[in-house]
Amino acid sequence: MSDAPSTRYSLLVRLCQPADEQAWQEFTEIYEPLVYRLARRRGFQHADADDLCQEVFQAAAKAIDRWQQRSDRGSFRAWLFRIARNVMINAIRHRQRHPGAVGGSDLKRLLDQQPADDQESRQLIVEYERQLFQWAAEEVKKSFRHSTWQAFWQTSVEGRHANEVANELALSVGAVYIARSRVMARLREKIEEVEGRDLRS
Amino acid sequence: MVSRRNHFECDHASLRLALDDRLVGEAHEQLATHLEQCEDCRTHLEALSAGRDWWQKAQSHLSSGDAAAAGEPAMPSDTDGPWLGFLLPIDDERYLGRFGEYLVTEVIGSGGFGVVLKALDPALNRHVAIKVLSPQLANNGSARRRFAREAQAAAAVVHEHVVAIHSVSEHEGLPYLVMSYVPGCSLQDRLDRQGPLETREVLRIGMQTAAGLAAAHAQGLVHRDIKPANILLENGVERVKITDFGLARTIDDASLTASGIIAGTPQYMAPEQARGETVDHRSDLFSLGSVLYAMCTGHSPFRAETFMAVWRRLCIDTPRPVRETNPEVPEWLAEIIEKLHSKQPHDRIQSAGEVAELLAAHLAHLQRPNVAPKPARLSVRRRGWRRWSRRASWITLGVLTGVVIAALAWRVPGGAAGIGTSSGTEPRVAAGTAIVSTEAAAITQVSTPPADLRLADMDGELARAEAQVKQLESELGQPASSLGDASNESIVRLDAELQQLERQFDNGP
Repeated sequence: MSDAPSTRYSLLVRLCQPADEQAWQEFTEIYEPLVYRLARRRGFQHADADDLCQEVFQAAAKAIDRWQQRSDRGSFRAWLFRIARNVMINAIRHRQRHPGAVGGSDLKRLLDQQPADDQESRQLIVEYERQLFQWAAEEVKKSFRHSTWQAFWQTSVEGRHANEVANELALSVGAVYIARSRVMARLREKIEEVEGRDLRS
Repeated sequence: MVSRRNHFECDHASLRLALDDRLVGEAHEQLATHLEQCEDCRTHLEALSAGRDWWQKAQSHLSSGDAAAAGEPAMPSDTDGPWLGFLLPIDDERYLGRFGEYLVTEVIGSGGFGVVLKALDPALNRHVAIKVLSPQLANNGSARRRFAREAQAAAAVVHEHVVAIHSVSEHEGLPYLVMSYVPGCSLQDRLDRQGPLETREVLRIGMQTAAGLAAAHAQGLVHRDIKPANILLENGVERVKITDFGLARTIDDASLTASGIIAGTPQYMAPEQARGETVDHRSDLFSLGSVLYAMCTGHSPFRAETFMAVWRRLCIDTPRPVRETNPEVPEWLAEIIEKLHSKQPHDRIQSAGEVAELLAAHLAHLQRPNVAPKPARLSVRRRGWRRWSRRASWITLGVLTGVVIAALAWRVPGGAAGIGTSSGTEPRVAAGTAIVSTEAAAITQVSTPPADLRLADMDGELARAEAQVKQLESELGQPASSLGDASNESIVRLDAELQQLERQFDNGP
């Protein structure tokens, strides 16, 4: 993620404009599965994890302006993660106060969850990346012609030979090389947009 | 002439233009033709679009679900190491290397017995999954025999709900087997993503799994490791394919079981298997019960902190009834699960075929209540008894835990002295103590009254915490370490752990 072009239309910039509904939608699409998984791993039941996601994103929506103004803000996802952490701890405390409360999550079990080990955290990060790539691929796909996309997909993801794919798509082999790199470049840019690299410097 | 052309076309600026789609018509064609001959420019173009790690990640993250890797953490860095030393290098960077006639595209899993590779079979132009016995084990006679036996046994099972084995062979002294590559995800992935499944889905997946098991059982083969990660859901149709007969052995394979190694995943294991006793096809049915349980609730029935704790729960505890976690689960389905979860194999439903039929009948009734009659209910032990048995189990657990603590307490000093030869003494002791206190915590839970009473005791303390929570709510986004008060050890632990995760995330992809 080093050679990022200097200026880029960033998802984060758009997020900070309250009216940009679509930016929020994109944002939740990417991060919700992550927060959800995190909650599930901490022993929250499906329904509770769902609620928790809602809460996290509401909190983020309320607080993003303030976050933007902070000089020590750090990375966006670390911030989001902190919110998730706080919301989760809140939820557990709330349940301690109201043991009879609905929701099915069993407090004792939540508290007894084993700490995430290194491997588990690594896995979570890999899952996050996977989510990000898959989301970005869906987005990017729309902006390419079918054959361009397929040139990328068949050679880079399915691991097939460029010759063979070129044949199928009625492209020259060289055109397949160009096409797959174009898609890859766009994919990388899309992901960098979300990661907000350009806001961090 | 020739050199002039090459010089002109090796112009990297045109590569950049191509990436931005600003190279049209003849210029585009010229570059394309040039790229076919010039590997340098090809490499450069790829590097210009994204670094090597991006290409690798694009492949591993976008390739649709990883058959045999399901449930395993993706592991690019872990397995690039010595494991792949047996691959022959190949002059094409889309492949990791060559194995026999196969072109290996990625590592999709690794386990106790070896690695699983995704590869292209150029002869048939299709992707396959290749399971290669690890070089260390290939030198071990019994492991080698077990692997061969596993492969033969599994290859004998031909069924639409079992991953097909194409061939079994050996390459450069490494035994391997070639399986169909199943694009899709595992049931474990799906549960992680979606949580509990609808009853219809539970029935459909359960029924297909049972049917696949019945086919294996008919060949005298016990899977021994039925769990959501080994149940693949094929893309699109979501057809069930059972995979990884990695631990399956023919029932009469006494020589190999004699080693007494507990094989399998404890969370889904049958109690007799966990105790190292005789295992038969009904052990798979217990595991199938656990898989159904997981589909209904979103998690495995016997969860606990450590391997030993899972083991204890498995052998003596009755899992929390599915309907307490998910009231939407019909009573008859809960009963089927309970029946499969009988500790004694002879109390379970006796064959996978019967389970498949039973689930199919319920599914038919659910889909067309007017046409298909509702199947008769199972006879299950009465609840009262179960409750009692559960209490009795807790008492047993308490006693057992006590024994374990005593054993640990006795062992810790010796262990520490034995290991702490150099500078490591203190950490070792600390680690030992931590184990003891975990066990002690388990005992507290067992021997104290129900959780709500304990919670009442904590109330005063928590009232204080609430003020803090209020403040916290207004400060979302502040580091949670500002919680300060160590009023609850678990929360502090959770917090520390999440902070650590957060740091790791910050280092990001």
